[in-house]
Amino acid sequence: MSRKGVGIAAFDRSRITSRQFASHGSSLRATNAQALETQLAVFRSLLQQFAQTHAKDIRSDPSFRAQFARMCSAIGVDPLASSNNHSSGSGTSVWAQLLGKTVNDFYFELAVRIVEVCGATRGENGGLIGLSELRERVSKGRMEGADSISDDDVRRAVETLKPLGSYAVVTVGRKEYVRSVPRELSTDQAAVVEAAQVLGYVSVGMLRDNLGWDEARCKTVIDDLMAGGMLWVDKQTKGEWEYWSPGVMADAGTDGEAGV
Amino acid sequence: MATTTTSPPPPQPQSSSPSFPFPREYFFPAFFTRQTNITIHHAQLTKWSALILAYARHHRLFRITISAAAESDLFFNRGIDRRLSPPDIREVLDFMRKDGRAEFLRPGDADASSSSAADGGDVVFLYWRKPEEWAALVEAFVEETAQKGSVLTVYELTEGENTRGTEFHGMDNQVLMKALNILVKRGKAQIFGSEDSLGVKFF
Repeated sequence: MSRKGVGIAAFDRSRITSRQFASHGSSLRATNAQALETQLAVFRSLLQQFAQTHAKDIRSDPSFRAQFARMCSAIGVDPLASSNNHSSGSGTSVWAQLLGKTVNDFYFELAVRIVEVCGATRGENGGLIGLSELRERVSKGRMEGADSISDDDVRRAVETLKPLGSYAVVTVGRKEYVRSVPRELSTDQAAVVEAAQVLGYVSVGMLRDNLGWDEARCKTVIDDLMAGGMLWVDKQTKGEWEYWSPGVMADAGTDGEAGV
Repeated sequence: MATTTTSPPPPQPQSSSPSFPFPREYFFPAFFTRQTNITIHHAQLTKWSALILAYARHHRLFRITISAAAESDLFFNRGIDRRLSPPDIREVLDFMRKDGRAEFLRPGDADASSSSAADGGDVVFLYWRKPEEWAALVEAFVEETAQKGSVLTVYELTEGENTRGTEFHGMDNQVLMKALNILVKRGKAQIFGSEDSLGVKFF
């Protein structure tokens, strides 16, 4: 084991070494960053070119918009994410920079409408609304001649609401829902919601026979969903009570105050 | 103003206007059962209230008799065999009363403003336009036709040729009287005459 540098000069030497390491490191970082910046600039200009050439399509054609969004996410760019936590500092998203805000705004405006519709219908559906029903309602509130909205747009717009915490797209059975309350469905609850998709309603007997649950379990889950506002009871049946999914009526309706 | 004694029998909802386009919830079976969840129940009351007002506006109904209306297609969807029970109807109407959209008429009492569902009146005024709104319409009509300062009979207002085409042509006399009384309170009109030949002077 070498015992070099026991003298006072050793302090100097180690200081020099670490300084050299540091300077070398920073020069490496600089070249690296430069290379990345060039790449990013090239990439950005290409993406910009593409986006500008197809801006009209992106804005007006829902399926094209979906494709473009998919392409962006495939190459690791979240078009909606605000980039203000990076050095660009402007606080605008990639799409906002590329497309002069319109596409970006499109999703944020859509998100605002979604929040409105979810809020207006929460009383009747407990904060769980079918994705396509939501889309229908949102489309209805828009002006005549406005660009059409796809399910994919709704999904993306809901994604932008993620920071709010309670908004999420959930899949139950074969149907997608938008959840606007900070409440997860338990496995049992999800099973009942799924069962209600078939006929629009469930009953204790139906669940018992089809899911093989005992009566108490069926009752508990139904009561839970009722308490959450996700089922409406119908007592005017000839036999046992039926519990209806409000989605059966939520998609249309004439309550204009909720639509506009 | 004791006007109840001469009021005509209230028209029933089955009257023959072109069919009313019922909203989707009308075909939702559970819509006719009182919901136990408070939030849902409130949403249900709001929807019923909107439905009743739209229905009344469509058929120009100014008042309903609860017992009779319970059998009408407004509250009884025969297609799916579901009906809103009279106590539930009463609850919806009371909900509307708090919103100024309905008013219970106590039997033998013309001044129904203070009565509520609990008082058990069977006849209910439906205010798809509130009396103040009717008052504004009448006032605008008088203004437009330059009849300020002249005297009109109540009959002229609702049945006369001149008001044909206005919204209040053919309207319920008692509701009209409420509207006119609002104008009186504002010093915009004066009512005189006896029960059968009431006249109004506008200022």
